Amino acid sequence: MTDDAVRISPLRRFRLGGASAQLSLLVIVVALWVVFSIKSSGFLSSFNLFALGRSLAVDVVIGFSQMVVLATGGMNLAVGSIGVCAVMFGGTLMQTMGLPVPIAFALAILLGGALGWLNGFAIVRTGVSSFVITLASANLYSGAMLILTRAVPLNQLPPEVGAFGRLRIAGIVSPFLVIAAVLGVALFVLYRYSVLGRYFLAAGANPRAAAMSGVPVQRAVVTSHILSGVLAAVAGLMVVARVGAAMPAVGGEDWLLPSFLGPVVGGTLLSGGVVSVFGSFLGAGLVTTIRSGLLVMGIGNFWLQLFLGLVLLGAVLIERYRAVRIERRPFPPR
Amino acid sequence: MTAMRRALNVEWAGLAAAALIGAAVLSLLSANFLTEFNIYVMLRSASVGLLVAYAQMICLGVGQMNLAVGALGGLVAVLFGGMLEVFHFPIALAVLAAVAIGVLGGLTNGLLTVRTGINGFIITLATASAFTGINFGMTKAVPFYKMPPDLVAFGDQHIGAFPYLLAAPLVLAALLALFLFRMVPGRRLLAVGGNSHAAALSGISPGGMIVLAHAISGALAAVAAVLAVAQLGSAQPLIGGDWLLMSFAAPIIGGTALGGGDVSIVGTGFAVLVIALIQNGMVVAKVDPYWVQFLLGALVLAAVGLNRWRAVRMRGR
Repeated sequence: MTDDAVRISPLRRFRLGGASAQLSLLVIVVALWVVFSIKSSGFLSSFNLFALGRSLAVDVVIGFSQMVVLATGGMNLAVGSIGVCAVMFGGTLMQTMGLPVPIAFALAILLGGALGWLNGFAIVRTGVSSFVITLASANLYSGAMLILTRAVPLNQLPPEVGAFGRLRIAGIVSPFLVIAAVLGVALFVLYRYSVLGRYFLAAGANPRAAAMSGVPVQRAVVTSHILSGVLAAVAGLMVVARVGAAMPAVGGEDWLLPSFLGPVVGGTLLSGGVVSVFGSFLGAGLVTTIRSGLLVMGIGNFWLQLFLGLVLLGAVLIERYRAVRIERRPFPPR
Repeated sequence: MTAMRRALNVEWAGLAAAALIGAAVLSLLSANFLTEFNIYVMLRSASVGLLVAYAQMICLGVGQMNLAVGALGGLVAVLFGGMLEVFHFPIALAVLAAVAIGVLGGLTNGLLTVRTGINGFIITLATASAFTGINFGMTKAVPFYKMPPDLVAFGDQHIGAFPYLLAAPLVLAALLALFLFRMVPGRRLLAVGGNSHAAALSGISPGGMIVLAHAISGALAAVAAVLAVAQLGSAQPLIGGDWLLMSFAAPIIGGTALGGGDVSIVGTGFAVLVIALIQNGMVVAKVDPYWVQFLLGALVLAAVGLNRWRAVRMRGR
């Protein structure tokens, strides 16, 4: 037997693996920051840091939106579509109907939740995989949005919206980042300490076993989709505030990769049952850093997709390698 | 069981009926619909769609999914265009090279999926992004416009309402049917899709079949890309950008089981035809083109709902 023959349950071992994964992710992000700031003096400028934090917040919330569904073992390809529906709905309420900003935002978030509920309802009712249902609903939602809005951007929103997007706390921090952090803490508490969060994870880890031990699996799936829709709407509204307009080109398929990248790179399992809120944050940080770094270094957006794809591949390969190594380690004595 | 019942139980009977009814309605709505030219245009645009759908169908058959069909198609399209415009390859050689690149891309997907044991969804999501990145990084989103006249002519020519382009998917569909239903590797591929564990116990290598399916998928995506270049008359980097929904919608509507093991080549073909009819109908009826996306989504939902209903009814008997 090995000399470090401590009793470690598989779960605990996995958690240790997860923690070291997040640590190495943190190291990679920091290393990239060092490289980019040496290569380009503009990277650490207060404006770039502000812009970076702002887009980080959007990426984080997009990742959360996917993460909550991944937790229950499903996936949501409609994150971007729900996002853009919330964007255009919020924009219409403010510009065309003249509703006050907070009410419009609240209603837009409500719409996100409702569209998410529709996804969850359809999945639970038909028993068809979440992939197919959300692929179809993504097109249904985007299509309906385009039909109703005729793809016309709404750029006469109340000035407070854009002003909120430009707001800076202490010169560099965007309030978006605070919102993302608050959402992250809330999700952490949800998964760690609440019954509902436990239900989500149990339903994702093994739906049959969960159902037999009295977990309302179907309700957990539907609730996770509602939550996902709400988060997608929040991400969409952040983009509205950043751009100062409601654009029909926001979200859609452009959010597909970032929504999976953050959580998966951060250690959330695609098969469900394991989430890492902090990891998703870091994963989104990696995405945002690479995007901003390439931009600052003048490589431009064209190669971005290649880098993001390779990062995702690299992350899953490393994770796989680690899992295999842990499996091969001799078992501690019982 | 009456003949009527039996006919209705063939998976694609409903789709064939839908296509016929759709065509009848459209020809009543507009005198332009049944013109030779309109049918030619519709079949030409269905040619690419058919290959895209089959590229996905073969992966679904082995129990995998391939999000990289469109991205690989886009990459092959610009490389094909580049070979013709920059390096002046003969067309036949360029087509061969394009298919080889497609197979290579498919092999990459397959080997990564099998060797790592990671969910094919996430692997192909990553490779799709990488393929698109290479495509846009190389071309800076600028298309290759100078395609050889022979290729462009091939894309335009037709006998009556039958476009030359349609020959490629029809021949490939026949070959695919022969392969999947009459040849040992094809049967094995579907066996792995039906029950990977049982297949492995009877001596089939599931990994090998998954790689094979991805390689075929890559080849089909490449041919689709070549046809798209011929059809458009230029190699656009955006080719493949809108293939994702089509690739899944047609096989699903056509009755291919998402879990694997059960594919319907004729059904998928009719599904592409129905989708082409919808697209064409939107143009003929001068409706907002955004309706196409909406209707496609609704159609997929209706198809899975119907399949579900049928499955429940069968079980209830």
